[in-house]
Amino acid sequence: MKRIILIALALLLLTLLFAWGALFYPMDAKLPSGASLEAPSGEHWLGTDNLGIDIFAQISGGFFHSMSIGLSTAVIAFLLGGALGVAAGYAGGRVDMLVEFLINLFLSVPQLPIMIVIGAFFGQSSLNIICIIAAFSWAPIAKQVRARTMSLRKTRYLILARSYGGGLWYLFKTHMSRDIMPLLAISSIAVTGRAIVQESSLAFLGLSDPLAKSWGLMIARCTAFKGIYFTEFWKWWLLPPVFSLVISALLLRLLTRALESYWLEKE
Amino acid sequence: MNKRKLISLFLIICLALSLLSGCESHVNAPAAAGGESSGEAGSSGGPENSYRVDTLKLAGGADWGVPSPYLNVSRGPGQAKMRLVFASLLEKDETGDVPWLAESWSFEGKDYTFTLFKGQSFHDGEPLTTEDVAFTIDYFRQYPPVTNSLGAGDGFIVDSYTIIDDYTITITVKEADADTLSNLGSFVILPKHIWENVEDPYTYNVPDCLVGSGAYMCTGYEGATGSYEFTAFDGWVNGKQAAQRILFVPVSDELLAFENGEIDIASMPADLKDKYMGDESIGFVEKADDMGYKMLINFEKLPEFLDISLRRGVYAALDRQSIVDNVFRGMGSVGSAGYVPESSLFYNENVVKYDYDPELAREVLGEKGFEISLLTDDAADGISIGEIVKNGLEAAGMSVTVEAVDSASRDDRINKGDYDFAIVGNGGWGNNPPGYMRTLFSDISKYTGTNPASMGPRGYSNEQMTLLAEGQLKETDFEKRREMFKELEYLVSEEIPLFVLGNQSSYSMYRKDYYDGWMKTYAYQQAEQNRLSYMAR
Repeated sequence: MKRIILIALALLLLTLLFAWGALFYPMDAKLPSGASLEAPSGEHWLGTDNLGIDIFAQISGGFFHSMSIGLSTAVIAFLLGGALGVAAGYAGGRVDMLVEFLINLFLSVPQLPIMIVIGAFFGQSSLNIICIIAAFSWAPIAKQVRARTMSLRKTRYLILARSYGGGLWYLFKTHMSRDIMPLLAISSIAVTGRAIVQESSLAFLGLSDPLAKSWGLMIARCTAFKGIYFTEFWKWWLLPPVFSLVISALLLRLLTRALESYWLEKE
Repeated sequence: MNKRKLISLFLIICLALSLLSGCESHVNAPAAAGGESSGEAGSSGGPENSYRVDTLKLAGGADWGVPSPYLNVSRGPGQAKMRLVFASLLEKDETGDVPWLAESWSFEGKDYTFTLFKGQSFHDGEPLTTEDVAFTIDYFRQYPPVTNSLGAGDGFIVDSYTIIDDYTITITVKEADADTLSNLGSFVILPKHIWENVEDPYTYNVPDCLVGSGAYMCTGYEGATGSYEFTAFDGWVNGKQAAQRILFVPVSDELLAFENGEIDIASMPADLKDKYMGDESIGFVEKADDMGYKMLINFEKLPEFLDISLRRGVYAALDRQSIVDNVFRGMGSVGSAGYVPESSLFYNENVVKYDYDPELAREVLGEKGFEISLLTDDAADGISIGEIVKNGLEAAGMSVTVEAVDSASRDDRINKGDYDFAIVGNGGWGNNPPGYMRTLFSDISKYTGTNPASMGPRGYSNEQMTLLAEGQLKETDFEKRREMFKELEYLVSEEIPLFVLGNQSSYSMYRKDYYDGWMKTYAYQQAEQNRLSYMAR
């Protein structure tokens, strides 16, 4: 429990820092506010990029850009994975066969190449990125939820409740959610972390809105700068988005792990 | 247990072997035309290699199409590769036209007579004669190739030809002008014995389509990785090639590859000028103002912008100095609104100049509520310029959505007219004389749907501009021609049919001790694309 609080606190701190950066830091994340590639200073905490746009402002904006994509993806995956998982596990028969087929399909296809193809086909926008990542995130959740629901379905209290005429929604709400919700919640946090990395990968490959201030895009723009590694610029242009990405993804992953072990212990 | 170990060992060996064979097929990819002759050439280097260098390696990685007249990508790097394989009658050096397939030439009135070198053959061993030259003229008249100096349709410049003997041909043009010799000298010659049976050259993609008569043969091409291999052709009679092989190898970072000796020539980033300029072992080819970016408005889709005051408003919204400072890293200039760059002999210093004036822009565009999309390529510079343009136009009150796609798709969409505003970058602005002015601004000769680099504004026409753009060509007196160019530039700067965003200067750098034959012609500064860069001179 202590570990969970610690990690959550770190995440909160990170969020607050970037919230401050996005709301109160005086520099704009989209418009130039200094000279090209200024080194970090009191005025520009992390320096500026090639167009003179403040890096800290971009990183802060990028955090919410990435987080909003991560969370939106998680919500979709949560709803879709939960609903299909419960439906399949509870109903069995043909519904189960169909859902299981879909789950296996989405689990077996190589994600990144398909994402690239779909991304290239539907064009560059954040909404498309959310849909694409969500489409590949629900299956693992549904698989877990389905298995859990199947084992719950055989419990006596559920059989009894069902024999009294309880509908699926009623059964889920009163008898199953206690077991399934933590599983769903933990999986969703894991999805958020993964989605942030995937969004950055797709942005890096040029499949997101080309001017969005996202970490992946910052990394892409910086690495495409000619001769960057022979200059000093990479220190303040490349490292901040890389570290932000690594730290955020790591914290979310650690939180997932901590919650998982906490839940297992509790069971 | 032992059995299991044996099986795993067997599997590992199988895997390793399959990987090795995979590598092999990857490197030697599609063997190009003239397989037999390429084998001979490969061995001709032998132990006593008489070439200046074994191999010249350049950065590949982009697919510039099959290096054949109908299949190459219409941009400079695509044409250059094709022109290594396919020879034309003349070539250009630092000061003027020089022999290539033709040993000598003369002209009188509308008649241009070329005499070919004796003994020149195609890569498959068939001799090259004036029959092939004549055939090519007829064939190009019927099927214009990707790069077409002979013109198309009514604009086809050749009227007739007379074959005098196997090596001499007289070509009669409809009208002789300042560019005629250059145009007749630069179309590539097709082997008649192959193409006379081809009915649809645009889809003719078999090894035969790579049989040319150029100094180099294409012996390897892999589009997906942008790899090319060219091998010196033994049957080339006009001089000696500098390298036995030219390789375009895919690299992830051009500069790192240059530092590691993986490639022999690379463009020098502006920020590292001091580092390299101080290095004695490195040579440079300066390309002054050679790269340029412009913004096109599709007047067919946005006829409102035919109103000159709106175009002035757009120009006032663009912070071009910021493009020079931040994107070109100071190496370049904001360019001339009259198109021809400052460093050109033909530059008119009196063209109308437009300053960055956000207030004026807001006054003109603010209330109109334009919503446009801005098409650009997805390279770092293209996106950065797109961002600066978007910021400027949005500050003036327009709503701009930037679409960044790969440069081939961008070109394709511009060719089809599928854009509102578009940013195009290309080399060759430093060409002298600036022949591109005609294909950009003459209503008669304007390129449409072929190559956005020298394509005129879509949906815009101007009679006076056309007269000047066409007229300069007919003027053979250098000074008078220059004056006409200047007049044309002034008119262009006044009318702004397209927006010059900036000219970028750059340097190619190479290791002098390995190979220093890189050159620029009087008309073209891209050393990597000039054929004479690959010849021992």
